[in-house]
Order: sequence, then structure tokens, then C-alpha cells
Amino acid sequence: MQNAWLIPLFPTVAFVVLALFRRFLPGQGKWLAIAAVMAAFIAAWPVLFDMLGLGVGPYHFPREWFSAGPLSIGWGTLVDPLTVAMLLLVTFVSVLVQVYSLGYMRHEVKGRRGSHVADDPRIGWYYAAHSLFTASMLTLVLADNLLLLYVAWELVGLCSYLLIGFWYERPAAVGAAKKAFITTRVGDVGLLIGIALLVAHTGTFDISANLEMVEHGELSSGITTLVALLLFAGAVGKSAQFPLFVWLPDAMEGPTPVSALIHAATMVTAGVFLVARLLPLYEASEAARYTVASVGLVSGLMGATMALAATDLKRILAFSTMSHLGFMFLALGAGGYTAATFHLLTHGVSKAMLFLAAGSVMHALHDETDIRRMGGLARRMPITGTAFVLGALALSGVPPLAAFWSKDEILVAVASGLNPLFLVGFLLAIVLSALYMARAMRIAFFGEHRADAAHAHESGWTMKGPLALLTVCTVLVGLVALPLGFDGIGSFLFEAGHGPHAFKADAVWMPVGIALALAGLGLGWWLYDRALERVDALRTRFGALARTFERRYYLDPLYQWVVDRVVLAAGRLIAVFDRRWVNDVGMDGPGVATLAVGTRLRMHVSGFFADYGLAVAAGAIALALLLWLGA
Amino acid sequence: MGYFERHVLESLVYLPMLTALVLLALPAKGRSLIRGVGIASGALALGGSLYAFVAYDQGAGGFQLVRVYPWMAGLGIDFRLGVDGIGALMVLLTGVVTFAASIVAANRDEDPKAYYVLLNLLVAGVYGTFVSTDLFFFFFFYELAIVPMYLLIAMWGSSSVFPSFSRTKEYAALKLVLMIVAASVLVWIGIIAIYVRSEAGTFDIAALSQAAQDGRLDAGFQRWVFPLVMVGFGLLAGMWPFHTWSPDGHVSAPTSVSMLHAGVLMKLGAFGIIRVGMQLLPQGMDDWSLVLFIIGTINVVYGAVSALAQTDLKYVIGYSSVSHMGYVLMGLGTLDSVGVTGASLQMFSHGVMTALFFTLVGAIYERSHTRDSLVLNGLASRMGWASGLFILAGLASLGLPGLSGFVAEVLVFVGAFRTEPVLGAIGIAGAAITAVYILRLVGRVFFGTPDKQWDHLHDLNLREGIAAASLVIPVVVVGIFPAPFLDVLRPGVAAVLAGIGG
Amino acid sequence: MTLLHFQLLAAALFSLGLYGVLARRNAVLVLMGVELMLNAVNVNLVAFAAYRDIPIATGQVIAIFIITLAAAEVGLALAVVLRLFRSHGSADVDAIRGMRG
Repeated sequence: MQNAWLIPLFPTVAFVVLALFRRFLPGQGKWLAIAAVMAAFIAAWPVLFDMLGLGVGPYHFPREWFSAGPLSIGWGTLVDPLTVAMLLLVTFVSVLVQVYSLGYMRHEVKGRRGSHVADDPRIGWYYAAHSLFTASMLTLVLADNLLLLYVAWELVGLCSYLLIGFWYERPAAVGAAKKAFITTRVGDVGLLIGIALLVAHTGTFDISANLEMVEHGELSSGITTLVALLLFAGAVGKSAQFPLFVWLPDAMEGPTPVSALIHAATMVTAGVFLVARLLPLYEASEAARYTVASVGLVSGLMGATMALAATDLKRILAFSTMSHLGFMFLALGAGGYTAATFHLLTHGVSKAMLFLAAGSVMHALHDETDIRRMGGLARRMPITGTAFVLGALALSGVPPLAAFWSKDEILVAVASGLNPLFLVGFLLAIVLSALYMARAMRIAFFGEHRADAAHAHESGWTMKGPLALLTVCTVLVGLVALPLGFDGIGSFLFEAGHGPHAFKADAVWMPVGIALALAGLGLGWWLYDRALERVDALRTRFGALARTFERRYYLDPLYQWVVDRVVLAAGRLIAVFDRRWVNDVGMDGPGVATLAVGTRLRMHVSGFFADYGLAVAAGAIALALLLWLGA
Repeated sequence: MGYFERHVLESLVYLPMLTALVLLALPAKGRSLIRGVGIASGALALGGSLYAFVAYDQGAGGFQLVRVYPWMAGLGIDFRLGVDGIGALMVLLTGVVTFAASIVAANRDEDPKAYYVLLNLLVAGVYGTFVSTDLFFFFFFYELAIVPMYLLIAMWGSSSVFPSFSRTKEYAALKLVLMIVAASVLVWIGIIAIYVRSEAGTFDIAALSQAAQDGRLDAGFQRWVFPLVMVGFGLLAGMWPFHTWSPDGHVSAPTSVSMLHAGVLMKLGAFGIIRVGMQLLPQGMDDWSLVLFIIGTINVVYGAVSALAQTDLKYVIGYSSVSHMGYVLMGLGTLDSVGVTGASLQMFSHGVMTALFFTLVGAIYERSHTRDSLVLNGLASRMGWASGLFILAGLASLGLPGLSGFVAEVLVFVGAFRTEPVLGAIGIAGAAITAVYILRLVGRVFFGTPDKQWDHLHDLNLREGIAAASLVIPVVVVGIFPAPFLDVLRPGVAAVLAGIGG
Repeated sequence: MTLLHFQLLAAALFSLGLYGVLARRNAVLVLMGVELMLNAVNVNLVAFAAYRDIPIATGQVIAIFIITLAAAEVGLALAVVLRLFRSHGSADVDAIRGMRG
């Protein structure tokens, strides 16, 4: 376990080698990248076994990185069950996505002799960025101090930027990458301020030490709340929550495997991970806890409604991700640590699978993403169809699929830990999330073929294999909730101090959850039939509402306005101010004034030699007289 | 002490002077010979600087590699050399940037002889300032570094016409020199005042510092002298509102001069504040630190916001320098060991990063003959290495972890939060604005599909590649392994802060 | 002969020289005026040295210095005048007003 720091090292080495020498490697080094991430995946298992053998920990292995003044900054590791779960999730999905990319990143390349199917010309860079991402994400979950966590946090953001903008010839991709980076950066400002503020008060970056001080009440409640909220700002940006979610739908411009790995299963969950890691901080402040829960609920509902209105398959999934991340924050706000982290895992697996299925569809349909132009795909693409349907059912909360178990946990947590208002909202969100999943499923995979969908076919084994494997996991992973020799997920995920909390079926909420999920699915199936008449009727009835969902609550135009009319305008104003006033008046002014004075004074200079001589003589005589009279 | 250890610092000062003399003796027609000598001198300077940096014993601290040559005993002026931790890092910075600049300078065709002669004089001045521990020679070399700037910009620079205004190289050169010289008058007044008031009868910085510790410079005196020194040196560090010489100077200066200008010359100002302001006027620094802190914060935000509106690549980088030097001023203003360490590291980090920026902008400009970010596009497909390195420099600039800027800025921020959290928060927000202008620029210039007119652009040649590599390596190394650099800084920072209220 | 006589002589010489410098327009004559003034000073120096008790012949030494300097000065100045004559076509100091503001 003390060697857990080696796990991120494999992909790091792969990144360095690929970044520098990919031109000289077979397949631009893609095999090396896959081997490295596979090694990381294998290396993650001993950590799990150690923990099952030794108890849940947490285990802290500090190592110094550098120090300045009284501060010491480490690169140590903090291993607890949450870390282990994240390690396995990240490496597992990374392996599958990288294998999947082998097939997905082969497309028609225009060469000298016509076009042929080949690897993307920058495939090496693609895998390099993937390796860097995996390494950074693993560092993020292992980090024992806030600065290292922030380092990894920014690096995963960079990889997201690089991979969204991977096809940088496309202006939309470049714009989306920029938007993703800057929007999350806005949240990161809060995160960094929060970290700096916390460290200024506690004098250490170490997470465990900080949490200990918080638990012992060594921080004033004002500072605790402020720090918790500032750190949460970073989580909001990274996990695409209201009001900073605008980048996530645009991020779908990147290659689909990237969306599956970064924007569904791993990076976007970093926000949830952060709050879960620092949960004692939030439990110490009622205001912070309720903020987290509120933002989670609002995002959950907003994401679900926007998913209902979106027509782009990947964007539906992106909004769904946002919505489910909202559920996790809601659970954390309710104090449901197990529920949130369990949902993180089940959602990660299911959503990655849904994205891979979507990618498979896009690959078959020449990058078509509009669900209105699909239809009947389930018959043409049985594996993809099965995967998507199972994923949709799982995320809707149908037993015994993965997300059913975790959703039930969240329900219990919300019912017991928060104001009933949150419960009502969450029940509504459950219906909505079943509804939009049914919609996407019905329109894209059932019904008659539309347009190109008739020619759709499955892709090669590199894409089918990971998809099938994830499907199996989606069916099975939820079952770890059951006490299979270790008391269920609850006792494994819970850290010391939170008390054991095994999974328990709740007699009231489990039937309610199942009933609502099935109701949502049934409603969706009924509403989105072939003709879509019922939906059109609803749409005309509630036009304003539908437009609000379609326009994503008008936040994009608002932010665009702020950027164009406030930030850039301020920039232009300052630039002109700098040139006209600071430079031309402030700096050149004295020079110009000196010049003007000189121009006046020089009028007295005749240029006649004798005048100068006379002046000298007169001066000398005057001096002599002065001395004579004075003496 | 071995032979090298005894003579390394003076060699660093004499080497460029000697190079200038050798170059003067060479025939102007032997261009390749002249370039060879220029580059070889740069390489030797880099080697010597590395040696001096490694030879500095961080455990012992204090001034090391000390040499004293008597000069004017009557006035207490001796040629004293030595470096503390901060000086050692600055010497290394000068070596790296000088090496890269001397390579980049080989791309210039007009009169390479005179160009290299002046460049070497400039470098001699910079080295001299960083290694002098005698206030008189400190000032002498400080002035020596400035004079060649005028000729280099006015003779080899370029004039630009923008839609709403224009900048001639003569204007930029004149403004740069007049402003710096005016500021150094303030510094000179301060230095003479310290010399006279301390009654130590020496210009030795260590002795004067001791005199200040002993209370021979009373608080009232320090309170009025410090602002002279702060503004005088601060101007060279691009302190708001006296920064306008800097972006205009960058836009007009040839590439290698821009590299030295932003890379090391601006650091002389911050270094002056540390050496003279903080070490000789500790009480004054204590009184004025908040002002310096606030001005630094203004620098950060003002520079970043100004950079947002710029379209010329050099103006963007020029204003980003104003913004980044703000972090240095902020860090010094904190008077906190973490903050001052961060400020010193930021001096190094910004130096190599900006020099890298200018190397690449120069390479792009020489090929495309424009620096207008609205005209350039899709360069990543044409100049892969140049684009990749530019993006790397941009990421360092916006404080991405793993690169040098991050470590320095985080230390400044933590220092700031330990003293004035509100200013620290504003500084962090400034870093976010940096992300906006850097990414906008990168998106426009490097991504997208290139126009037909850029088809002929070719990637970096070997010379430019070596220059860029020599700058990238420190950016990455400091980002990943900052410990050796911080270890060297530690005794220097501790000594500087020891005098100021603890 | 007393010191006063020498002083009167020196004063007269100096005034003559000054008049020459200020009133003459020919550059060569201006130079001659300068020479007269220098020699007036020399007379003073030597006279003071002779009549007053001044150690190690300081006055004489300085006078010799001045004579040497004057010779050098005349050499240089005549060269300048020659150049002026070549470039301006005259040696009239009033015609050369390069320093007019």
C-alpha cells in the first residue's frame, strides 16, 4: 500500500515517452500507452487486497516535495477506501476507453491516393494526453495534501482542454476547449483562494491534519464556512454544476471516448471526490452543507430538464451526467457519504458505457449525433443497443442494475438528513431522469429507421469488447452493495469515525424509488412514440418552458454577455486609458512640457560668438566686484 | 576555495566585456565568426552561471564566492563580489537567458558585430549588478546595463503602425532610457543618502546593512528614503503606473533584446528593491510594504486586463510581463518568508518563461512578418514545435501546475493570505484573467485551419530549437523539482527578512 | 618698479585682449585676443611670484604651464579656423551661428 504512489507513475512514463518520442514508436506509441494504463490497473489491485486484509485505514504516507519558509509541501499519499475505489474506477475505465479508442480513432484519412481508413494522424498525441490524464487523475485521488490535489486538479483540466480541442482544426472544438478551461478556472479561483485561506489559518496543506483541526474546532465557524464554500466553488466548476455547467455540453465536441472517460466517469467526479474527501469541513458548517445540497438538487433538476429538451445524443448524456453529479452533491449535503461515493462508482461505470455506446453509434453513422435522425438502431446494432438500453435502465434506477442500489441509498440519505423540500425535489428528479432516458432510448434505438440508420453496423472487437465488458459491470457492480463477505459497500467505503453503515433495504423508500423509476420510463415510452404527437402538443402548450430548457436556462448568452460586454470591454477601456492617459499624459507629459519650456528659452540664444563672450566677461566682472565689495 | 570558485563571479562580469573587445577586433565581414564568438560567449556564461549556482552552499548561507578588490579606499569604494541565495538564482537566470539570447541574436543580418558588442555590454552590466556587493558598483553596473538598450532598440528595432496609433523604435528607445535614467536618479539620491547618513564610510552592502541593524539609519530617514528607492527600482520592474516603457520597448526591440529586457533587465529592478530597499532600509520597507503590496496587486490585475485587449503578440506578452512582475512586487510586499520566496522564484520563472515567449514570437515574426493575432491562424499545423512550445509557455504563464509559474505564484498567494487575504484573492483572480487572454490568443493564432498565406511557414530551425530548449528545460524543471531552487533561496530570504522586524 | 606697475600692465593687456575677443569678427584676430588675455595672466603670475614671498616658484611654474597650453590651444584653434574657412568660405565669427536657438 505504501507503494501506491507507483500507480500514477506508469502512465506518467508513458506520457513522457509519447510526448517526446512518439514519432519513432510503432503506432505512434499507442500500445505503450495501453500497456502502461493496464499496468496501473493491475497495480491498483494489491492496494485493495491490502486494505481488505489490514482494515480500512486511512493510511497516510507523507513525503516531502519542497518547502518554503515554514511551509512544507509533500507528494505523499493518503489511502482510504474512497481512494481505492477511485483508483480502480479510474484505471478500469481508462483501460477500456483506451482500447476502445483503438477502433474509434481509426477513420477515413485523406491521403495522396484517395482516402482510406487509418489511425488519426495525431494518434500518438491522443494517447499521450490520455496517459497524462490518467496519471493526473490517479494523483488527484492519492494526494495527501491540498496543493498536490490542486496540481492534479489543474492537470486533469489541462488534459480535458487538450482532448476536447484534439481536432483543433474545428473552430467549434477549439471554442469548446477554451470554454471548458476558462469556466472551470473560474471555479478554481475559488478553490485556490479557499486552499490559501485554509493554509493561512492552519499552516499546513496536509488534508488529514486540516480535517483534524476542523473537527477539533480550531477554526472559527466563519472561516470554516468561507473555506468550505470557496472549495466548493472549485467542485462546482469541475463537476459542471449550476451555475458553471455551461462548458460540459460544449465539451462533447471532443472525441467520444474522451467524453466517456473524462466528462462522465472520472474528471467531472473530481468535485464530488473533493467534497467527499473534505466532508468533515462541510459537516462542521450547516450553511456549507445546505449550499452543497441545494446546488446539487438544482443541478440535478436542471440537468434532467435540459436532457429532456436536447436532441444531440452526446449532449443528452452530458446533461444526464450533470444531473447525476447533482444527486451526488445532494447526497453529500445530506451527509450520505456512502451513498454519494457509491453512486459515483455506479454512475461512472454506467455512464462510461452509455458514452461508448453513443460513440459506437456515431462511428456507424458517420458522426451523426442527432437522435431525430436515428431510430431502430437496436436491430442493426444488437450489442450497442443492449448496452444502451441496460445503461438507460440502470441510470433510471431499475433493479438490480448498478445505479439502482446507489440511488436508493441517496434517497434514504436525503429523507433522513435534509429538509423534506429536498426530498420532493429529488423524487421529481428521479422521474425526470427515467423520462429522458426512455426518450433517448425510444427515439434512437427503437421505431423505424430514419435517414442513414439503415446502413448502421457494429464496429470491430476493440470497440465491442470494452462495451460488452462495461455492460456486464453495469449489471453486476451494484451487487457489491449486498453483504458478500464484507458487510456491503457501506462498511468498505466508510472511513473510521463515520461508523459502519452497511447497505440496508428501506421498506418505504425502495418501493417508492422503483415505482417512480418505472413510472418515468413508462411515461417516456408512451410520450415519445413514433409520431411524437403527444410531445408536440405538450411543447406548444408549454412553449416558454421548453425554450428555457433548450436554451439551457439562458446562461450561455448571459456569460457571453459578461465576457464580451464587461470583461473585454474593461480590457479595451484599460488599454486605451493606459495609452492615452498613463502613457501619453503621465509619462510623455513631463517630456513634452520640458520640450515646450526649452523651445521658449532658446529664443534668447543668438548664436553670435561675441554675445557669449560678453556674457562670460560680464559674469566674471560681476563676480570680481562681488568679491571685492564683500571683502 | 578552488581557483574557479575564487574567480567565477568576476569572470562572469569580465567575460562579456572581453567578448565585446574581441568582437571589436574582428573584421565586420566575418559574420559567422562573429556569431560563433557571440554564441560561445553565451555558452561560457551559462556554464559559469551554472557553476556559481551549484557552488553556492545553501547550508552555510550568507554571501559566498566573495572577492574584494580595493579600488578607492578613501571613499570606501571597493570592487566587492559575492552572491547570496537570491543572487545565485539570478545569476543562473542571467546565464540561461543570455545563452538563449546570444543564439537568437545570430538570426539578425544587419551588422552582427556591433549588435553582439552592445549585447555583451548589456550582459556585463546585468551580471555586475547581480554579483556586486558594493553599492557603488551595484549602481555602476545597473547603469551600464541600461545604456546599450537605447542603441539596440533605436538601431535594430522595428517601428509599428497600429490602427489607432503608431510606435517608432526611436520613440520607444528614448522613452525607455529616459524613464529608467530618471528613476535611477532617485536611486542614486537614495544610495548617497544612505552612504552619508550611515556614517559607515563605506559602500559595502554588508557593512551598511549592519549599520541599519544597529539603528544608525533612523526610522524617519528610512521613511523618506525608501519611496525613492522603491519607485526608482520599481520602475525597472514595471511597477504601475510607471510601466509604459516596458510594453512599448518590447514591441520595438529586436527579439534577443526583448528576451534580455523582460528576462533579466526587469529583474534588476526587483533585485534592487531587495538589496537596497529591504536590506539597507528595513524600517522603511516595513512602513511601505503595504503600499508595495497594493501596487503589486494593481500590477497583476491591470496588466492582465490590459493584455486582454491587445492584438499584437508582443503587446500581449509585454502586458503579461507587467502582470507577472506584479506577483514579484506582491510577494515582496508580504514581508512573509513564503511570499518573498515566491517572489524570488517568480523572478526566475518569469524570466525564462518570457524569454521563451519572445523567442517563439520572434521566430513567428521572422517567417510571417506579422505579429497580429487577428491575421495569424492555424499555425499549429504549420509550425508544430513552435506552437507546442508557445502553448507550454502560455500554460506556465497562466500558472499551470507542473510548470515553473505555478510554484512561484502559489507561494506568493499563500504568503499574501498570511498577511492580506483580500489582496491575495484579487491576485488569484488576476491569474484567472491570464487564462482568458492566453487561451484566446492560443485559440486564434495556433488552432483552426491555416490560411493559404501561411503555407510557406516552416518550423523552428536548429538554432531556435536549441534556444527554446534551453529555456523550456528550466520552466519544466522548476515546475516539477522546485526544491533545489527553493533551498538556495531559503538562506537569502531568511537573511533579508531577518532585518525586518524579526 | 613696483608690483602695481606690473598689475597695470596686465590689466591693460587683458582689457585689450578682451576687446579683441568681443569686438573682432575675424577668427584669427579673436584668437590673438585670447593670447593677449593669457599673457596678461602670465604677467600677473610672474609678478606676484617675484614680489611676494611664495615658495618654490609656483607662479613661474604655472606661467610655463600656461605658455605650453597656449601653444597647444593655438595649434588646435588655428586648425579649427582653417576648417571653418574651408567649409564656410570665411573666417567671420558672426557668420557662423550654428548655436543659435
